[in-house]
Amino acid sequence: MRMQRRVCLAVLATALAVAGCSSSTKSPASSATSPTSGGSSSQGSPATASAGGSTSAGSSAGAGSDASGNLTVWVDAARLPDAKAYAAAHPNVHVNIVTFDGDGNGATSLQTKIQLWNKAGSGWPDVIFSEQVNDPVWMAQQPFDFAADMGKALGSGVTSQWPATSLAQCTVNGTLVCIQDNLAPVVLWVNQKLMTQFGYTVPTTWQDWAALGEKVAKDHPGYIIGTTGESFSHWIYFWGNQCPLEANVKDTSVTINVADTHCTEMASLLDPLIKNGTVPPLSVFTPDFAKKYGGANDKVLMMPGAAWYAQAVFDSTLKVPAGEITSAAPLQWGTDSPVTTGQVGGGPWIISKHSSNPKAAADFVLWSTTVFNPDPTGPDARPGLPGYGPLATSWLAGMAQNKYFAADPTPAIKAAANQIWQGWNLVTYPDQPVWSNTVVTGLVAGKSLSSLMPALGNGLSQAAKAAGYSVVSH
Amino acid sequence: MLTPAAQVTRQRGLPAGRARRKRGLGSGRGVGFVVPYLPFLVAFGILPMIYALTLAFTSHKGKFIGLKNFTQAGNDFRFGPSFEHVFLYTAVWLGTLIVFVVGLALVLHGRAGRASSTFRFLYYIPGALAGAASVLVWLFMLDPGVSPGTFLLHLFGSHLFVESIAPGHLPFIFAMIAFWTGAGGWIVVLHGALNTIPQDLEEAARIDGAGPLNIALRLKLPMIRKWIAYMVILSFATGTQLFVEPQLVNQASLGMVPDTWSSNQLAYQLAFRYGKFNEAAAISVDLLLIGLIAAVIIVTRTGLFRRED
Repeated sequence: MRMQRRVCLAVLATALAVAGCSSSTKSPASSATSPTSGGSSSQGSPATASAGGSTSAGSSAGAGSDASGNLTVWVDAARLPDAKAYAAAHPNVHVNIVTFDGDGNGATSLQTKIQLWNKAGSGWPDVIFSEQVNDPVWMAQQPFDFAADMGKALGSGVTSQWPATSLAQCTVNGTLVCIQDNLAPVVLWVNQKLMTQFGYTVPTTWQDWAALGEKVAKDHPGYIIGTTGESFSHWIYFWGNQCPLEANVKDTSVTINVADTHCTEMASLLDPLIKNGTVPPLSVFTPDFAKKYGGANDKVLMMPGAAWYAQAVFDSTLKVPAGEITSAAPLQWGTDSPVTTGQVGGGPWIISKHSSNPKAAADFVLWSTTVFNPDPTGPDARPGLPGYGPLATSWLAGMAQNKYFAADPTPAIKAAANQIWQGWNLVTYPDQPVWSNTVVTGLVAGKSLSSLMPALGNGLSQAAKAAGYSVVSH
Repeated sequence: MLTPAAQVTRQRGLPAGRARRKRGLGSGRGVGFVVPYLPFLVAFGILPMIYALTLAFTSHKGKFIGLKNFTQAGNDFRFGPSFEHVFLYTAVWLGTLIVFVVGLALVLHGRAGRASSTFRFLYYIPGALAGAASVLVWLFMLDPGVSPGTFLLHLFGSHLFVESIAPGHLPFIFAMIAFWTGAGGWIVVLHGALNTIPQDLEEAARIDGAGPLNIALRLKLPMIRKWIAYMVILSFATGTQLFVEPQLVNQASLGMVPDTWSSNQLAYQLAFRYGKFNEAAAISVDLLLIGLIAAVIIVTRTGLFRRED
């Protein structure tokens, strides 16, 4: 029942976004202009942390508490508490908060809006948070030309506290154009209780993981060890295995080579598992998935997934009981070293080039990424591992204490953050819908992943060319 | 020397003076009805169309470039599939619309008053749901996990939502959604059209020995031909401009249905994702042309505007 309601809400939100774009963007703004006391009272700790934060964040940014004036920020629902808390802690800044549907499935809300603002020559917000990690790439280029130099805004003393892999991802043509709110390395999520019950040991390589999948299919049919039905499944399996689906991005050239061994070997590894049902082509965010594998059924034995899966997927979406889930280190391909992993998400903050209040904009981003709520639990919890080092440390400390997990999940997450393969470059076009509509639809129809790889390569190349890239496929 | 209008009326065997007087009176009254609509037609219909036409033949710098936008949009890898989808969808939808709407209207018109009005109301109800809302209802209907018609979905081999919205099913699914939201309104319109058929004609046919089937097919159907043509023209235009249904299913399916499924969506994506407003305008002009050609064919074939008085 609750599940149905959730689906209903999600679908309704989608409908609102489509049917009533203008009204849905305006009303939250006006209602959130003056943050309610509820928002600020639940945010006691960050508000008090503000003072300490400004010292830890480093005065190098030059954007202390002296920010004032008007500031318009666009955030997704998950970042709303953050924006409200900032407004409460900074009475001199008149913060205008707008929420929007920044989902990761190739939504065009931001493209649409920025095009319109550019055409109108006004209306740009000062700061945007996007759930789509590739957004800054097009925002930094023509015809959008929206993203300001984030390195200059925050100062190198602050930005050096982000992992190099994260900064590389936000660098477009040599300029840092965004800063990641959180990091989302892929780890192996494990149901410790079931593993012990079945007498399995946690695999450390993809091969062991696949062998266990064959065993599970025979001995415990119905249980699963992963999924391939997400729009971002290739970011989990192929990014981690260094498959060049979007590599060597230089200016307007991109390498897409699905025939690379790193791609074909992963597809061959997954095929028997997709066939025997242990890695179904179903998204964890669909009601069908929750019904089949979640809640009381508790059929998720393992799942390679991003750091934010922790509670967003297992606790909130699938209702897996407390004391069962924990994370293990990213899987290794055979004896290949060093181990590399993929990343899913890790939304970036972007400051507008057209901001009339760049000082407050920088102050807001600084506060959101370095001060706001290092607590991984509670109503205004940060769902993901903060990108800013010092904040990550306190977030991980809180996570380690969390009773929801069967064992401390933080060592694996912490290690994985530095193992994200840097060869995967972000591009201006959305690649995730291509995976969904060429691969997932094919898998659902019973085709093998290996047989769908050429179609994936073709679809990605077409999307790349349509976005103005030249494609190298060898 | 006769005016063309007088020539026409002469051919029809009507005294020219009477016809002119009639037409003059009619158009005088008509203006009153049309005027309130004119500003809206200009602001939201004609001006945007002129804007689209200018955009379609110019570059983003405003220079005239002939058909370049059309060829560029036509060469886009999504152009062919999106038009294929839309034409298949429109064919399925128009087919069902004509057969079922006309069929049901004829059946209803043959019934007694009370039953007829009850059914007309029932048919109309789904149409009261606005476009986006009806798609949402259908998203639930198509999900075997929550649908009241799960057994039907199972019959069609669909056990998961992702199987319900398999690519091959989509034109039919969208046609079904559009049918249920649009059919009721048209049944009411055609029922109204059937009411204009003089009672004595029907009686005469009955006296001549025609049964209900013969009356429906040989008398009523030809007399509401123009209303059917009118429905087809409007529905054809709406059909080729399909947008809301695939757009919502795209989001609900987490991207499994491409966001450029229909040609109108492609125009939207070109404009707002890629900033190619001129190519997007070219696609909308393509759609305008297709709609116009279809309308011209239907008008000339059915004599929609021919006056038979």
